[in-house]
Amino acid sequence: MAARAKTPESRWQRSLRSLLYGRNVDREVKAKARLGLAILAFAGIYGVIALRLVMFAMASSEHGDHRTVTQDAVATARPDILDRNGATLATDVKAPSLYAEPRKLIDIDDAEEQLTATLPDLESKELRERLASKRGFIWLKRDITPKQQREIHQLGIPGIGFLTENKRVYPNAATVSQVIGLVNIDNQGIAGMEKWLDGQGLAALHMAGLATDRLQRPVQLSLDLRAQYAMRDELIKAREKFKAKAAAGLILNVNTGEVVALVSEPDYDPNNPREANDPTRINRLTTGVFEMGSTFKVLTVAMALDSGKATLKSMFDASHPLHYGRFAIHDYEPKGRALSVPEIFTYSSNIGAARMALAVGVEGHQAFLRKMGQLDRLRTELPESAEPLIPKHWGELNTVTIAFGHGLSVAPLQAAMGIAAAVNGGLLIKPTFLKRSREEALKIAQRVLKPETSKDMRYLMRLNAEKGTASFANVPGYYIGGKTGTAEKVINGRYAKHKLLTDFMAILPADKPQYLLMIMLDEPQGTPETHGFATAAWNTGPTAAKVIARVGPLLDLEPRFDLPKADQLILAKAVESR
Amino acid sequence: MRILNILVICALVLAAAAVYKIKFDSTLQAARVAKLSNELRHERDAVAALRAEWAKLDTPARIEELAGRFLHLQPVKATQFDTFDNLPMRPPAQPAGSDAIGAMLAPSSPATTGSLPAAPAQR
Repeated sequence: MAARAKTPESRWQRSLRSLLYGRNVDREVKAKARLGLAILAFAGIYGVIALRLVMFAMASSEHGDHRTVTQDAVATARPDILDRNGATLATDVKAPSLYAEPRKLIDIDDAEEQLTATLPDLESKELRERLASKRGFIWLKRDITPKQQREIHQLGIPGIGFLTENKRVYPNAATVSQVIGLVNIDNQGIAGMEKWLDGQGLAALHMAGLATDRLQRPVQLSLDLRAQYAMRDELIKAREKFKAKAAAGLILNVNTGEVVALVSEPDYDPNNPREANDPTRINRLTTGVFEMGSTFKVLTVAMALDSGKATLKSMFDASHPLHYGRFAIHDYEPKGRALSVPEIFTYSSNIGAARMALAVGVEGHQAFLRKMGQLDRLRTELPESAEPLIPKHWGELNTVTIAFGHGLSVAPLQAAMGIAAAVNGGLLIKPTFLKRSREEALKIAQRVLKPETSKDMRYLMRLNAEKGTASFANVPGYYIGGKTGTAEKVINGRYAKHKLLTDFMAILPADKPQYLLMIMLDEPQGTPETHGFATAAWNTGPTAAKVIARVGPLLDLEPRFDLPKADQLILAKAVESR
Repeated sequence: MRILNILVICALVLAAAAVYKIKFDSTLQAARVAKLSNELRHERDAVAALRAEWAKLDTPARIEELAGRFLHLQPVKATQFDTFDNLPMRPPAQPAGSDAIGAMLAPSSPATTGSLPAAPAQR
């Protein structure tokens, strides 16, 4: 009794103890109890073993899968890239690659001879060195043809094998190269939208070895392949005709900020990555910064109208060149009198634009351009972007020159964004290369101008196409409006008279803009047809007209004829709605 | 007791046979699944390759070249588009059985032009 008090045992333990060791218990009962315990123990052990077996049986199939996956797809899969109508711009195909395991090779000389006989572009000396190394695994040649694979397979060299890899192909070659970019041999994006894709978590998937499935959701861009092709075709022709160093074009949906077409000639074939490294083939619309010339007057006039410092009826003195220290601002075609705002716009008067900017003042000018997104780096999905070049000390002289587009270099896409805001009702919408709806665009849009200012700007743009410098861009049926710009390029810190950058911004249709078209030519030359002129009205204007005639039907723009003049159609409407 | 033992042994043998059969079948099925998924992957790759080829054949550059060579078409001019508002109205339905063209040919019928019936017929 004393022992029981010392160690408190449960009834079950007590009965078990007395059953196994107790003197008072019958031998037979004791033996049975011991036997039962042994059976229980064995049953438990076998149960565990059976359970483990079941678990192994279930897990084994997964192991098998893992092996096939690693054999397959070393360079991992990427999602397809489609245009806005679903046409394929980039896709993956499987291609075999040749590898060797030098440790398993028996006769290096024999292997080298046979391989160079089948693949003549393998360097025999280098191949021998690589095969002689004691490495576990080396690539011999990536991306071989199925025929070569069959031939090498039939050689039956031990230690030589094939892996199927994903290879990126771009069916449209150079047409869309500036937007989608390209990948390296390991299928990692190194430029354009391909690089952006990697930044969207694809790179992490690659690291984890998970992105092997080709069932990834395709990415749909805002580009329209047909418009893109038509634009590129016309730009190549224009570049040849005017012997320009480069040509670039952009179609921007002003209501959603979608880039429908973006061409920068010369471009490259992403299937041939060697071309892509050539610095002359950069995307001039996002990676280059330029002084945009007179197209910047759109922003200057919009600023003056929006601030209330001017109305369409205001007059500004343009009778004499504007003197600033040792600088004098001239007009291209001096009129020698005071000009109204529509006259300043259609004659593209530098003096008038400068006086309008001075009326707003230096600080107001800076604040306005910042609000319009012209002073900060514009970041889109494309990884390549450029910082605008802003004068270090922004004085009155800077405001004067920036008013007509000199002294401030911006990315052309950035300028297009600002001008789109000036005509679309006053909403600044960041451009995108992905499909976007009007609702999504409205969510990120910022109001930068009054709707009335925007209406006045549409009127001025249309007026310019009716009787101003943009009249060469007129296409019957499409009620376009536009503004030309010609800037002298800065060479060694001085403006060069005969090295021009010409650009043209068109809105179509001008009464209710849907698209902004920009054409830019780098150093165009005069031709007999243009009477030797190399300014924007003579080269980018007619090029824009050709592009509009081809692209208009593709973009669902309804041709309309017998429309009234700008002052009736746009201004009268503006009065009504006020 | 002995009968019970025999029954248990029989059950054991049957169970073993059944397990063997199930295991064998499942191995077969697993092999089939692996084969099918392998085939599926190959098919998918083939589809992707065909799609890539299609996209290549479908590029605007190639279509334009072919159209220029084989079709005598011109780019559409803006004047060639028209709106639905400018379409003439559909003529009123003729009663079934009546021979509209025959009636037109008959000398006694009032003259009609084009697809538009004569004025009295419209009322």
